[in-house]
Amino acid sequence: MWERLFGLDFRRRRLLARAAPGPMRDYLAAPFPARGDDYLEAPFLALDLETTGLDPRTDEILSIGMVALRGGTIDLASARHFLVAPTRAVPENSATIHHITDDRAAQGRPIAEVMPEVLAALAGRVLLGHHVRTERGFLGAACRRLYGQGLLVPLADTEMLLRRQLERRGEPITSGSLRLAALRERFGLPRYKAHDALVDALATAELFCAFAAHRELRGPAPLRLFLEAP
Amino acid sequence: MDIELVEIRDFLAAHSPFDALPPEVLDRLPAALGVRYLRRGSAFPPPQTAGRFACLLRSGAVEMRDARGELVDKLGEGDLHSGDCGEGDTSAVAAEDCLLYLVPCDRLEQLRREHAQFARHFDSSLVDRLRRAIDTLRHSPAGGARLLSVEVRSLITRPPVFVAPGTPIRDAARRMAAARVSSLLILEGEALVGLVTDRDLRSRCLAAGLDPARPVREIMTGNVQTIPASTPGFGALMRMTQLNVHHLPVSEGERILGVVTTTDLLRLESASAVFLVGDVHKAPDLAALEAIASRVPELHVQLALAGASARNVGEAVSAVADALTQRLIALAEAELGAPPAAYAWVAGGSQARREQTSHGDQDNALILAADATPGDDAYFASLARFVNDGLAACGFTRCPGEVMASNPKWRQPVAQWERHFAGWIETPEPMALMLSSVFFDLRVVHGEASLLQGLQEANLARTKGNGFFLARLADNALANRPPLGFFRNLVLIRGGEHDRTFNLKLKGVVPIVDLARVHALAEGRPEINTIERLRAAAGSATVSAQGAENLEDAFEFVSTLRVQHQARQLRAGLAPDNFIAPEALSALDRSHLKDAFGVIATMQQTLESRYPFGRHY
Repeated sequence: MWERLFGLDFRRRRLLARAAPGPMRDYLAAPFPARGDDYLEAPFLALDLETTGLDPRTDEILSIGMVALRGGTIDLASARHFLVAPTRAVPENSATIHHITDDRAAQGRPIAEVMPEVLAALAGRVLLGHHVRTERGFLGAACRRLYGQGLLVPLADTEMLLRRQLERRGEPITSGSLRLAALRERFGLPRYKAHDALVDALATAELFCAFAAHRELRGPAPLRLFLEAP
Repeated sequence: MDIELVEIRDFLAAHSPFDALPPEVLDRLPAALGVRYLRRGSAFPPPQTAGRFACLLRSGAVEMRDARGELVDKLGEGDLHSGDCGEGDTSAVAAEDCLLYLVPCDRLEQLRREHAQFARHFDSSLVDRLRRAIDTLRHSPAGGARLLSVEVRSLITRPPVFVAPGTPIRDAARRMAAARVSSLLILEGEALVGLVTDRDLRSRCLAAGLDPARPVREIMTGNVQTIPASTPGFGALMRMTQLNVHHLPVSEGERILGVVTTTDLLRLESASAVFLVGDVHKAPDLAALEAIASRVPELHVQLALAGASARNVGEAVSAVADALTQRLIALAEAELGAPPAAYAWVAGGSQARREQTSHGDQDNALILAADATPGDDAYFASLARFVNDGLAACGFTRCPGEVMASNPKWRQPVAQWERHFAGWIETPEPMALMLSSVFFDLRVVHGEASLLQGLQEANLARTKGNGFFLARLADNALANRPPLGFFRNLVLIRGGEHDRTFNLKLKGVVPIVDLARVHALAEGRPEINTIERLRAAAGSATVSAQGAENLEDAFEFVSTLRVQHQARQLRAGLAPDNFIAPEALSALDRSHLKDAFGVIATMQQTLESRYPFGRHY
C-alpha cells in the first residue's frame, strides 16, 4: 500500500524538492521510467563495477563501465569506461582479479569527478546489472559520501530475471549456472576474452536482450514486473 | 580516449570488408554500432524502429530459403547482410540464436565514400572480387616460403649494356639493336643516371617526333631504382609490380651488374617444367624415368611457390605426364618391335584436359586403326601393359575403374569405339555417365591423331542439342554440390550435414569441370580443357557470357587454392589430398571461397532449370 502510494517516482520528487543544486539534483530532476509502460520500451543503463572488495562501506570503486539500451537494441555510442582513483592502495587479491594495479589505478580520476557523469547517464533510466545490488550498494555509498544522500534508482537484475525464466521453463539451476558467463553460453552469446567493467556491462546488456527476445512471444508486459524492490 | 570496445573492434578487424579499413577508423567504428539479439526462428533482418541498418553477424546462423523452402544461402559468424541498406538481399530466418551488430546505412555509405578498399567489396562485381582473390592467392602463398629462391644475380646473363647521357638517341637505339637488349643503362662515369627502354624509344622519341640526334638524356627515365644482387627472384618480381616497371638494374655495392626483366623471371617459373620434359626424352630406361617422375611433386611445389596459377601447374604437370607416356611408348616399341598397325594412345580425364596436379590416377585408352586384325591385339596388349606398369612405377596410380589401355575394354579398333560411343550417347547408362570425365575428355598423346579426331567429330554431332543425352549428363553434373556456407568454422553441406573438413576437389573443382563439359557437348565444341570449354561455350544458348566468365574465375580461384594446399602438404612431406579445413583458411579466403561456391550453385541451378527432367531420370 505504502509502495503504491509513495512509489519510487513520488519519493524522487520529494527528494528533488529538498535537493541542493548540483549533480544529484540534476539527476533527480529526470522522471523515472513509468512503471506501467512496456518494459521493452523503457530506457536502461547496463552498468558494471570493479571494486577493491565486496563491502561498499569499506571498499572502493576502481572502474565503472556502462552502456545504454532501449527497445531491445544496445547503443554502443553510449558506452563509457571510467578508471577511478581509489584513495587507498589496491589490495593484492583484487588486483589479481581485475588486473588493475596501483599504477593503472593511479591513472584514474577521483570518484567526485566521475560520479556526475555516471548520474547524468543514469538520469531517467533503469539501472541494469548482473547481481545489481553490488552496483547499487557501491554507487549509493559513493553518493552518500559525495552528496550526503543515497541513490534512489529503479533496478533490474539479469541474474534474477534469468533465474525466474529458467525456473519457469523447468530448466535445472545449479551453483554457478547463474553466473554471467554461464548464462551467456546458455543463450548462444559469444565468449569475451577481455574482462573489464565495460565488457561486463555490455555482456549484461546483451544477456538482457537475449532474455527479452526469449520472452517476446508472451507479448508486452509492464516495466514494474521486471524491477527489483529498491 | 583509448579504444574501449576492443572486443568489437577486434572482431571487425578480422572480417571482410572491415579488415580493409585503416586502424584509426576501426577504432572509432564500434561506437557507431548497435547490438541486437535475435531468437532462433525470428525474421531476419529484424524490423527496425530507429533508423536503417545493415547487419553483421557476431554469432549464430541465418538461413535464407527460396519460395519452395529450399536452402539458398547461409550466413554465419562474420557475414554482413545489407539489411535495410538494401541491395536486394532476400529475407530470411534466424536458424540459431543470433547476436547482431547493426551498422547504420549512412555510416556504411560514408565508409564506402572514404575508403576505396572497403568500397570495392560492395561496388565490385563478384567477378572482380574473385579475380583480385586469385591475384592475392598467387602472390602471397602461405608459409613464408622464399619464392623463386634463386637470387637475381644468377639471372643476369650478360654484362650491362650502357651509354653516356650525351649519346644521340639514334646511336643508343643502334647499340640496343646490336646487343639485342630491350633496355639500356645510362651511365655518367660509374654512376647510374637513367634507363631507356624500347618503349621510351617508341613513345618519347618516335611518337613524339623528337629528333633522333638529340641526346638520349632527353628520353631516359631518371631516378632509376635498383635492386641488390642477392634479392630472390620473387622479391624482384614484387618490386617490379610495385614500381610498375619491367626492367630493374641489379646492383652490387656501387657496381651495376646488369638488368633483370619480367621476362627473365617468368621464364624461370616454367624453366623447371621445360627441363624435366627435356630430361624425360633423354632417359635411357624406366629407372631413369622413375627418377625424373619423382621430381614432379617438386615441380608442383616450385610452381605454386612461384605464384603460378592452377592453370600453369596443370599445364606443366600434364606436359611431364605426356612426356613420360611418350617415352614409355618409345621404350616399349624399342623392345616389342614396330607396331603391326597404326594406333593412337589416348589420355583421358585431367591429363587430357591439361589439369593434372602432381600425381593423379592414370586414365588412358588405345584406339587401333581400322585395318588392325584380332591377331594384332597381343602386341598392343604387351605395349599397354608396359606403359601402364611404367606409369604406375612413375607414381601415376592405376585407375580404380581400370580405365587403362591394358584393359581389353579400353583397347579397341576405331569402329568398335564408334559403336561404343553411339551406344553411350543413345542410352546413357549410369556407369557411362559416371565415366563421362574419361569418355568425353580424351586427347591423343602419341600416334595417329586422326583416329580420335574422327571419333570426336561423330560424337559431337550426336551430342549437340541432344536434349535426352544432355539432360542425363546434366543430372550427373549436378551430383556434386558446393557447400552452402561457412558456419563457425565448419562447413554446412547441403541439407545441414557437416564435417570438419571439406573436399575441395569434389565440391569446388569437379562441379565446374562437369558444367563445362555439358556446355561444350551441348554446343558441339571440341575443346577439352575446362577454361577453353567455358570460353568456347560462352554466350551460347546453354551458358551466358557472364555466367561462363564467372565460372572461369571461380575455377581459377578454387583450383589455385587446391594447388597451394597440395604444395604445402608436399613441402611438409605429406601425401597431397583435397581436404581443406576451413579454419586453416584466412577469413578473406573463406569469403572468396564463398563467392566461388555461390557462382557454382547459381550455374548449377541454371542448368537444372534448363534440363528439369534430368532429375527424374
